[in-house]
Amino acid sequence: MTYLFVFISVLGLLAALGTVLARNLVHAGLFLVAFFFTVACQFVLLEAEFLAAVQVLVYIGAVAILLMFAIMLTRNVQGDMTTTTSRTWLLPALVGGLGLFFVLMFGINDQVGLKGRMTWASASTRPEIPRAGEGKPVTPRSAAINDMGRMVGREMVTRFVVPFEVAGLLLTAALVGAVVVAYREGDDAESPRRGIQPTRLHGAVTVQATNGHADGSDLPSTASVTS
Amino acid sequence: MSHDIPLNWFLYFAAASFSIGLIGVLVRRNAIAVLMAIEIMLNAANINFVAFWRYGETPPGASPLSGVMVAVFVITVAAAEVAVGIGLILLCYRRWHAADVDRYDSLSG
Amino acid sequence: MATVNIAMVWADALLWAQQPQIELSWNTVIRWALWLVLGFFGAFPGIVAYMVWAERKVAARFQDRIGPNRVGPLGLLQPIADAIKLITKENIVPRTADQWVHLLAPVIILVSAFLVLAVVPFGIGLTPVNLPSGLIYLVAVSSLSPLGIFLAGWSSRNKYSLLGAMRSVAQLVSYEVPQVLATVPVVLWAGSLSLNTIFDKQMEHGWFVFSPPGFLGFLILLIASIAEVNRTPFDLPEAESEIIAGFHTEYSGMRFGLFFLAEYLSVFAISCIMTAIYFGGGTLVPWSDFPAGTLGAIHSAYLPASINATFILVNLVLVAVFFAKVGFFIFLMFWVRATLPRMRVDRLMNYAWKSLVPLSIANVLVAAIWYELVLRPGVVFKVAGWDVRWFVGTLVTAPIVLLLIWLVARCNRLSEKAEVASTTAPAAAR
Repeated sequence: MTYLFVFISVLGLLAALGTVLARNLVHAGLFLVAFFFTVACQFVLLEAEFLAAVQVLVYIGAVAILLMFAIMLTRNVQGDMTTTTSRTWLLPALVGGLGLFFVLMFGINDQVGLKGRMTWASASTRPEIPRAGEGKPVTPRSAAINDMGRMVGREMVTRFVVPFEVAGLLLTAALVGAVVVAYREGDDAESPRRGIQPTRLHGAVTVQATNGHADGSDLPSTASVTS
Repeated sequence: MSHDIPLNWFLYFAAASFSIGLIGVLVRRNAIAVLMAIEIMLNAANINFVAFWRYGETPPGASPLSGVMVAVFVITVAAAEVAVGIGLILLCYRRWHAADVDRYDSLSG
Repeated sequence: MATVNIAMVWADALLWAQQPQIELSWNTVIRWALWLVLGFFGAFPGIVAYMVWAERKVAARFQDRIGPNRVGPLGLLQPIADAIKLITKENIVPRTADQWVHLLAPVIILVSAFLVLAVVPFGIGLTPVNLPSGLIYLVAVSSLSPLGIFLAGWSSRNKYSLLGAMRSVAQLVSYEVPQVLATVPVVLWAGSLSLNTIFDKQMEHGWFVFSPPGFLGFLILLIASIAEVNRTPFDLPEAESEIIAGFHTEYSGMRFGLFFLAEYLSVFAISCIMTAIYFGGGTLVPWSDFPAGTLGAIHSAYLPASINATFILVNLVLVAVFFAKVGFFIFLMFWVRATLPRMRVDRLMNYAWKSLVPLSIANVLVAAIWYELVLRPGVVFKVAGWDVRWFVGTLVTAPIVLLLIWLVARCNRLSEKAEVASTTAPAAAR
């Protein structure tokens, strides 16, 4: 298990480095996907497979795709222009990043436990998760781990109901905000709307349909467009 | 199953990836790459939340899933942040025809 | 069958062997691992090969032809011949293509299709992995395939590929929403995300599809799933008359074979999922746990303590019925493909966002009503000693479901009319 952890961690760190260093943006996005995946693996190692599934669903399924779309929209069409790293910021970034890393390592290693709690360095065993049939008393926490989907739902409508509502509000605001921000003004005036296009091409198609298909299988919709 | 990974190792991994993310935010010029680096940092924080939740004891009366819930909310906020961030980047790209953050310098004197 | 499996395993090993960068020492290790893993998965390529044969036969019947009949009796050896053809074909990679990503893309899609099958309860104790959050896992894993398709289109350095990939990603992301929302009623009724628990609940309460919200949810799931696997009438990503072959234009040889495999495998996987969550898995009769019930109280995730002849018989019946249902859904998809023409791209998006998404969201509310009336433990409606919960539930929810469908259709028609009026009027004035 430790070997597995080390393997996953090394892969994850390499993927993170790749994200930061890759010159091609799509490659950086791919490395980012790999990093998300290793984080999901870490969640599985931490016995939170629900969270791992959510991680894959939201990050790889949605965020990565969104980033790829953004790369396509802000580059030339093939998206293969390379980007450079900023020379002037290289030294400050290295100093800041490595400094932060060493500070964090120092802090993690030398953390003094709060009163009555163990230190982080000495925490190497997890609280056990007794299952229902094993004779040991089932704590609420072990029940939660064994049926995490249900417990997350229950927590969301009881203890975390306010954060849940706020998150919903935030998502709605983000949705509306993203549409408002990215909406191109004057789109309607310049070109016909995306939805229904009574263009010449479409007219031709309708004519074909009228001539070709006596039964007019797709006529009602197209006819209503041109009428 | 796996009761032999020390807590520290997860924290080391999180710290290392957070630092890499920080370097990425500072070094990259492309706005989307900066957004990617921010995602790395958020994920590192999530690992910490879940690791502390898994290794710590739950006090009676506290939520049995505290760390996981926080991680879920972080994921939610990250998704919203990416959506708005990409909207802003697209807007800036249309105005300055570049996605590099050091080209957005209208306010510098 | 075995030949096909070995052929497929060979194909993948050969695919890897074509990569020059693997060292010799590692090469052997990787090869062995691949042989083991793909030997296990070899059953699925066999299924896919004969699905292709079945599709050609079915489509031929629909078009008044005979279909493949040259290789072997009834053309039964045709898939093997096809597989050998695909394997031995030259693998052409465009010179400007992104070599590694070009290789990675079909692998991602194939892995996504494979992994979906890991949580399907084929019978009692026959679930490969019983995840407590199986449905979320399913959604997560199947959301990998847009990424693979995007990478395939991007790495080919071909405008048609990229166009097809962008279309495909837009379509897949759009139809994922109703697909996920259509599974929510099942989660609500079973009270769990595990497919095994859903299976058990259906043995207890009858198939979930036999309820107005369940039927609507199943229809939405079916339509969205057909769109998810890029089949006609939603095959715009690979519309051959518009953009050559879409995202896999630049693929040839076995890499194209991998796309092919992934597409048919995801059809199979989708059919398995629909069978498992709406059609009661392997149960034979809608309102009874007939074959499994003879074993007494049992959880479908675990093998019983003693495996006797009855259990094996029951499990055989379960698996047979399961695959019969899966076969029916696969036939349904062939049927749809042989019947319907391709959709227009703007209608495709409108259909997902304006019809399916509102319907599936409203359907969740109706499903809650159904739960309160029929499925909640302790609910009793009795008339002359007969349990009439199901009739009461249907009487209440069926009008609501019909009203919802009518309402969504009407709103769509009105908005379309208004849009047409607003876009055609200035054109006429010009």
